[in-house]
Amino acid sequence: MAHPLVRFDQVWKTYGSGEARVDALAGVDLTIGRGEFVAIMGPSGSGKSTAMNIIGCLDTPTRGRYFFMNVDAGGLDRSRRALLRNLYIGFVFQGYNLLARTTAVENVELPLIYRGVPGRQRRRLALEALDKVGLTGREGHTPAELSGGQQQRVAIARAIVTSPTLLVADEPTGNLDTARSQEIMELLTGLNREQGLTIAMVTHEADIAAHAGRIVTFVDGRIASDEAKMEAA
Amino acid sequence: MIWETVRLALLSIRRNALRSVLTLLGIVIGVAAVIAMITIGSGTTEKVKADISKLGSNLLVVRAGGAPQPGGPRIQAKELRAREVQALVDGIPEARAIAAASQKQVRIVSGTDSLSVLVTGSDPGYFIARDWGVALGREFTDQEVRGNANVCLVGETVRSQFFGAGDPLGLAVRVGRMSCTIIGILESKGFSGFGQDQDATVLMPLTTFQRRIAGNRDVDTIYISGTDGTPMAEMQEKVEDILRETRRITADKDDDFSVRDMTQIAETMASATTVMTGMLGALAGVSLLVGGIGIMNIMLVSVTERTREIGIRLAIGAQERDILVQFMVEATVLSLIGGLIGIALGMSLAGLASATMSIPFAPSLPVIALAVGFSGAIGMVFGFFPALRAARLDPIDALRHE
Repeated sequence: MAHPLVRFDQVWKTYGSGEARVDALAGVDLTIGRGEFVAIMGPSGSGKSTAMNIIGCLDTPTRGRYFFMNVDAGGLDRSRRALLRNLYIGFVFQGYNLLARTTAVENVELPLIYRGVPGRQRRRLALEALDKVGLTGREGHTPAELSGGQQQRVAIARAIVTSPTLLVADEPTGNLDTARSQEIMELLTGLNREQGLTIAMVTHEADIAAHAGRIVTFVDGRIASDEAKMEAA
Repeated sequence: MIWETVRLALLSIRRNALRSVLTLLGIVIGVAAVIAMITIGSGTTEKVKADISKLGSNLLVVRAGGAPQPGGPRIQAKELRAREVQALVDGIPEARAIAAASQKQVRIVSGTDSLSVLVTGSDPGYFIARDWGVALGREFTDQEVRGNANVCLVGETVRSQFFGAGDPLGLAVRVGRMSCTIIGILESKGFSGFGQDQDATVLMPLTTFQRRIAGNRDVDTIYISGTDGTPMAEMQEKVEDILRETRRITADKDDDFSVRDMTQIAETMASATTVMTGMLGALAGVSLLVGGIGIMNIMLVSVTERTREIGIRLAIGAQERDILVQFMVEATVLSLIGGLIGIALGMSLAGLASATMSIPFAPSLPVIALAVGFSGAIGMVFGFFPALRAARLDPIDALRHE
């Protein structure tokens, strides 16, 4: 591997100014290699969500540089970052964030629409992705007709339908019970092991983080610990 | 991609069916008003043109009294008399017909029915000059005019009111204090552009009218009809010269009579109604603008409501442009639907109006095309600002939006 997938170079993220100034990130250095499954932990306000947004090219650093696939993504404009997201990054959110009153397969097709993939191919890819997350037979259901776990599976299918390089997951099990959480984590671990999908996941639950191969903990905008799990290597 | 967007727009319009319908109403009313106004207006213009040409083409109309000067009093003048008519007949041999006519609104009676009609006294030239034929029976003759015969022709309204389906020829009708024998039915002319029933009329010899109805020897109007291709301006000048001479008007005095070219009047009237139509259309256009603001309002609400959806779309790789197009297409589709409904409604209104007011139904394709284009443009213009607002949303904030 010539270069890591994700590289923070002294990244600062500052909100407000003067007295109200808050450093959400205070000079963070971090690299994530291809094929890694990294859990990002930390109490609320520790900067883990900000780091996540920057990794996902949704946000840019105030100071320092952020490289994604060796591209200075921190310096790109909105539309170029949108393109990076569309081409290389899949998102899974805590609240699923599916479009209401839109069927599962249509939700999964959404990123392909913005790529300009023609209709028939789009449908085929979306059905394949739904199959990978074990939702064959539920294509025509709307989010309201699916359970929380099923909705999160649709969201994962939507994230992987474009065959992304990086999957960014923000508290993917936050709204699920233990059994459902376990299933989702097994799905993510499988995608990581079998397809070599790089995953960056924010969580505040230790047992969820335990599924990852590496745990990075943020405290007060800095990385407090960065541990690789032995048996995962 | 664009079809995808249109489909998406239709979907989201259907999701908020009630709200969409209420929003549409503004555009529907606006477009319907414009279409109805312009269609009825151009129908009226046609009607006015047709009416005036029904008065007869190549027609000069002479009346006593000068044309009023702007701001000045109407010139008092002595009435026209048989002398002037004779001078014109002698002086203008190239005229197709010269007819002297007088009119009065009179109540006519038959049996127990009575009706207020316009009674006209004239001579046989009237039928030619006014381009008015006889549907049934015959015209009166020069001989009857000379002999003050108590004969008359009645209009279609009089016939149907008094006699229904029966044959009125040879029957008598009371006109004021006289009784006259019906010798003919005039062709129907329908309503004039000013809403007057032109068939509520009785026509009799001028001499009979002067003696039995008016009680004087005045002539209200002299109609002078030229043949096709007669230079009317030249003829008008000739008429004026003859009348000045006959009425002994010295060179330093203004005319105490007026000579009007009906073709010119027709054009003036038509252009006046065209201006009216334009103004009414513009007024209706204002309501379109209001409809457009309604669309903008609802699109802003829609953007706020769907902030999270916009956030999701931006996060998974939608470009600003994609969001902008999505919301603009939605606004445009919305107002286009309103435009189409408005056209249907406006056309029905215009059709109804033309049926009840007996004016021609004159749908104008350019106006319809314009209405479609305009309503689409309104969607785009008023949809742009809300769409831009949606496109500029920060995906992180948008995703956090509840």
